[in-house]
Amino acid sequence: MTKPKISSDWMAGCSGCHMSLLDIDERLLEIAELADIRATPITDLKEPDESGVDVGILEGGVNNSSNEEVAHRMRSRCKILVAFGDCAVFGGVPALRNMCGTQEALQRAYVDIESNDDSGKIPSDPELAVMSNVRALHEVVPVDLHVPGCPPDPDVIYYVLKELAEGRMPEIKDENLHWH
Amino acid sequence: MINLTINGKQIEVEEGTTVLNAARQNDIKIPTLCDHPNLTPYGGCRLCVVEVKGMRVPIASCTLPASNGMVIETETDSLKKSRSTILSLLFSERNHFCPFCQVSGGDCELQNSAYDEHMTHWEMQPQWTNFPVDTSHSRFILDNNRCILCRRCIRACAEMSGNFTLGVEERGSATIVVADTNVPLGESTCVSCGSCVQVCPTGALIDRSSAYLGHDKNMTVTRSVCRGCSLGCGIMIHTRDNRIVKITGDYENRNVGTLCETGRYKTLDEKRVRLTTPMKRVAGQLTATSWEDALTTLASNLTSNKNSIAALASTRLTVESMAAFKSLFADGLGNDVVTSIEEGRPTALQAKYAEANGESIEGKLDTLRTSDCVLLVGADLSETHEVASFYIKRNMPKGTRLIVVDPSENGMDDLANLNLKPKTGTDEAVFDALEAAIVKEGLARTDVKKSKVALDVAINACGLTEEDVVDAARMLAEAVAPVIVYGKGISAFGGEAVMDAMVRVAKLTGASDSERRGILSVKGEANSLAAAQLKMDVPFEVKNRKVAYVAVGDDYVTKRLLKALEDVPFVVAQASYESALTDRADLVLPVNIWAEEAGHALNTEGRLQFAEAALTRPEGVRSNFDLLNEVAKLLNVKLNEDWRTALTARTSVVEIEM
Amino acid sequence: MKFFRSHVLVSVDPDCVAQGAHQIVDALNDELVAQGLIDEIQVLETSRLGDPARFGPDLVVYPENVHYANVTVDDVPFLVEEHFLKGRVVEKFRAKETVVTDDELGAPKAKEVRIVLRNCGKIDPHNIEEYIAEDGYQALAKALTSMTPDEVIDEVLRSGLRGRGGAGFPAAKKWKLCRDVPDNPKYLTCNADEGDPGAFMNRRVLESDPHSVVEGMIIAAYATGASMGYVYCRAEYPIAVANLNIAIEQAREFGFLGNDIFGTGFSFELEVRMGAGAFVCGEETALIASIEGKRGEPRPRPPFPAVSGVWGKPTNNNNVETYAVTPQILLKGADWYASMGTEKSKGTKTFAIAGDVVNTGLIEVPFGLSLREVIFDVGGGIKDGKQFKAIQTGGPMGGCLVAEHLDLPLDYKALTKAGSMMGSGGLIIMDDETCMVDIARFFMEFTQEESCGKCTPCRVGTRRILDILEKICEGKGTLADIDRLEMLCEEVMKNSLCGLGQGAPNPVVSTLKHFREEYIAHVVEKRCPAKVCKALISYQIEPACTGCMVCARNCPVEAITGERRQLHVIDDETCIRCGICAQVCNFNAVAVLS
Repeated sequence: MTKPKISSDWMAGCSGCHMSLLDIDERLLEIAELADIRATPITDLKEPDESGVDVGILEGGVNNSSNEEVAHRMRSRCKILVAFGDCAVFGGVPALRNMCGTQEALQRAYVDIESNDDSGKIPSDPELAVMSNVRALHEVVPVDLHVPGCPPDPDVIYYVLKELAEGRMPEIKDENLHWH
Repeated sequence: MINLTINGKQIEVEEGTTVLNAARQNDIKIPTLCDHPNLTPYGGCRLCVVEVKGMRVPIASCTLPASNGMVIETETDSLKKSRSTILSLLFSERNHFCPFCQVSGGDCELQNSAYDEHMTHWEMQPQWTNFPVDTSHSRFILDNNRCILCRRCIRACAEMSGNFTLGVEERGSATIVVADTNVPLGESTCVSCGSCVQVCPTGALIDRSSAYLGHDKNMTVTRSVCRGCSLGCGIMIHTRDNRIVKITGDYENRNVGTLCETGRYKTLDEKRVRLTTPMKRVAGQLTATSWEDALTTLASNLTSNKNSIAALASTRLTVESMAAFKSLFADGLGNDVVTSIEEGRPTALQAKYAEANGESIEGKLDTLRTSDCVLLVGADLSETHEVASFYIKRNMPKGTRLIVVDPSENGMDDLANLNLKPKTGTDEAVFDALEAAIVKEGLARTDVKKSKVALDVAINACGLTEEDVVDAARMLAEAVAPVIVYGKGISAFGGEAVMDAMVRVAKLTGASDSERRGILSVKGEANSLAAAQLKMDVPFEVKNRKVAYVAVGDDYVTKRLLKALEDVPFVVAQASYESALTDRADLVLPVNIWAEEAGHALNTEGRLQFAEAALTRPEGVRSNFDLLNEVAKLLNVKLNEDWRTALTARTSVVEIEM
Repeated sequence: MKFFRSHVLVSVDPDCVAQGAHQIVDALNDELVAQGLIDEIQVLETSRLGDPARFGPDLVVYPENVHYANVTVDDVPFLVEEHFLKGRVVEKFRAKETVVTDDELGAPKAKEVRIVLRNCGKIDPHNIEEYIAEDGYQALAKALTSMTPDEVIDEVLRSGLRGRGGAGFPAAKKWKLCRDVPDNPKYLTCNADEGDPGAFMNRRVLESDPHSVVEGMIIAAYATGASMGYVYCRAEYPIAVANLNIAIEQAREFGFLGNDIFGTGFSFELEVRMGAGAFVCGEETALIASIEGKRGEPRPRPPFPAVSGVWGKPTNNNNVETYAVTPQILLKGADWYASMGTEKSKGTKTFAIAGDVVNTGLIEVPFGLSLREVIFDVGGGIKDGKQFKAIQTGGPMGGCLVAEHLDLPLDYKALTKAGSMMGSGGLIIMDDETCMVDIARFFMEFTQEESCGKCTPCRVGTRRILDILEKICEGKGTLADIDRLEMLCEEVMKNSLCGLGQGAPNPVVSTLKHFREEYIAHVVEKRCPAKVCKALISYQIEPACTGCMVCARNCPVEAITGERRQLHVIDDETCIRCGICAQVCNFNAVAVLS
């Protein structure tokens, strides 16, 4: 039987979830034995296989059209989609921007920022990603598994990867469940 | 008894029990949010809904009285779905941002409920609109983004402190918790009792002094007794790394979790500098020295001036320490001026009265908690014994009436049903007038035919109007459970005749009879009653004394006391903090603060309560009790260790519960 | 003694003065002097002649008794010349009196039986004697002097009278429950909060025949043992409040209220308490909280008000109509009342017919009449020749019924079984140009606004349901939204504390049931079949256009361009879908597309 393929990507996140994944330390070798780890933002391959993977893991909230593309791409190329970390599950820290609105945030970041002189302006080029309200992953694509945490515990991540690698759906509850 | 079935289990409970409590009593868990065991059930969050056979829709178990033959289910799939939907709705209603909230990670009941339902995400996203955050109060912050409108804070403000500051404005999804008529909390009628913060299930009400200092699981919690005044409310001291993080009310004590600003926060406000080493005045200068040297100096001074010592101890010291103090300086060294910092002003009058009459005329605080008419004389409870004022205030909407008798301005004037402002120093006449009015109107519960003083004479003497006196008399006489509460205004300025007059009124109105004692005095500070019982209630007379020994502990020193010490040749200060007293003293002996010493407290209603130490005292600092014992040993004085018997040596004005 | 041949009385009512009456007086005098008539015509000032708002400034000329209205200073010379010199009445200045008609309640229509409404429009509500003349207070006398409270209860029980507030619980059974509770004092409350949009039956009775309610309440108080009663009347009915207060005062004067009524030893006092703009206070426990001076929020039941209501004492609460019909039942007997209606729903009920029918207004019919009869016979059918689509019964908590239900009888059980409810009697009839999704949204908007906020499912759930409905009407809905809508409706109905939350999803649930295809069209095709939802429709000018430019001139946002006699074009992006162009087009050339 071929090993299940796992791929990950990230959107509007701080990469902390992936760092926490690395924190499973030598257990990473065990997972690498059980599953075929394909593209991730921290390895060489950058896109999940066009032929599809079994498990797709996404970190970060959906913050602009580029993130939406990543979300749709992963959803279409994987069987089980995992929302990884509080930003993907809830919107997370970037979602605080929703309280003041995208326009105000852009104004603050590009024009009113202290490090600018008077010539700051909000960039507008059709090639650039278009900002939107920060959304949780499940607001954009159907999600199969939510693993909350900021970041999720390495022990929880190990448990999730092991279960998925061995063909089971992990149960996120009790000691494995924390949102903070 | 009621018999019902929950989840197939047959159980029996007392009549009047709610289904929720019936479940709790039988280890069946039903999730709740708006419910609080010490507040009136609300029935608003709907998390506790259960299926009742025969009823069309699920019913909230917190408000459903159990009845015979009820068949209840609490774990059907439909109910589980409902619970997670209700929680999803709550999360989507406001902006619940867990990562930076100080209760997230164990202390948030909303988050914990979600964990219990195995919620890994939110079905519906939050509003992303800003709800108001009120930071105007010096002790709390109200963050409406985290509020779930459970109304616990409003119920606590009404049922615990009776202050009724918090309420809601608008309706539906626009409902918002507000103070008074929607004024900033810091400008409202809030008295900072902290009841709201204590009961808030989420991080909506933030206690500035303890936020972010750790979760409950990081704290050590010690059950103790507040030393803020003579009420002796039960407290829980939360410490971390030998530091008090917060103080909450003890629900299992008679104050049932209620505290005032003093009890909850005064210790945390402490700014005074701690004494860490003994000090001795050498060539006019206070210099640090060793304990050995300090005690040797002390011993020699006390020995040479054995009978010329004036000794004063704070009533914040434990009963054990006070008894040791008395035993050492009065019995051991034969001095007559061995007194407390209160000098008997709040207690001597009634103590002598009890002794002379061989009778304990006062009752327990429960009499106040359940009274329907309170006559408050010579005490401003809202200033000095605030929780006692809460007991009255919270019952007033249920019909309890308050009569305040005070020649000067009293903090409870605005609340009183009747405000009597007699001439200063005429309390006896006031009671005489009440007695006369009761007899004249034919309202007496006993068969007294004639009052001691005629109504018009008494009224003339105290300067009140006949109308007011008759109104007051009527209110007291019509009440089912009246009570007379008095304070220093009577004890410090009155004589035996006032006590006689008060007791007569109590008997006539039925406040006191063969079964009930409807008189209470609030006395002074923590161990005020102990001081009275140990006869440490004489004025602090230092004239011609060679030594003044002031065991002030962590208490404050008045200017009057300092002035008195001016000409005393040798002053010893047994204290916890630097102060004008220690600056003046010739010998300074550092001792622990109240929370660092285990011992007993005797509150105003005669209850003896043991308080554990919650903190370890700093190195170099002695406990009051140990120090006094050490001094006794040095002076070859054998201390009387049986302080219990010492406490009951004289008849107490209120029965002492050992 | 001077004899004048004519007197001119000018109204100097303050409102007329504000409109220039004094100037008219001066102008008249000046003109009469100028015409040499000052010795023959006397100008006098008088008080109000007609309603100043309609006729002011006005004056009357005697002896002809001609009433001139809306006279201006400039009119005076003409008026003087015509009327006083030439002797001709100036018709164009003559005041036109209008005939007062009762649009709401005309003559009884076919199949109507007016019992509750029998006196409305016929007697003066400010005059108790007119009520007494119509057998008023006879029932009270009969009850107090010749019947025991139990006998009163039995009679009303036998009549089959069910509470008319909506729940339909047998009224006398409720009275007995309250009577049997061993506690005192007992209270009686009348729910006159009538908050359902489109319901005005109670209002009419309270305004036009308040004594029927007062008498009914005193009888019910006698039956239940209540000594104090409150009529909780919404503040939005000021005339009803005023007329009730007058009626209560008069009833007291005549000895029907107060101590020892008719010397029987029975005492009862009655008071009006006003609402403060909360639909939720029509729920009996919220009503009771409001009477107690507290925030109008419902309380958990049990305990029921019969056991613990106002101030924790036994309380009986009934609707205005239930009390209003009680005297008639006692006078004419239970058998008479039970002879009308169906087996389970006895007697008559008032209904307020609103919506797309020819005859809107109040009716009172016996139960058992079919919906078809109500809509097409009594109601006169759908107006403007349109088709019947649905009828909403029971207000914002009710469901809609469709063509297949038209032959259902007006009956508590039948309506509930069909997925709606009787409610308080509001009937809203909708034609085929009604969008049912929009209707669901409208009712949800109402209940969301009126939710008291105490319980989570109603407070937040109705908000979320409304958000989804608004999203659908704006063309942004998805099929997943409809699934969530159904889930939320079920949960809100199950878990809410009171009837408001439990019933609020009903319009959504019933429109989803009968008109699911409309929801699907909104969501999948982004189309509103009834052409109502603004975001899903567009206006287009068809070839029938003659280029008359009327539409372009009337467009409030200048979205229409076109040359004279050329086909006009509407700019879709600017168009705000107000529909004015379609209204003003005389050639039916503006089409609404979806």
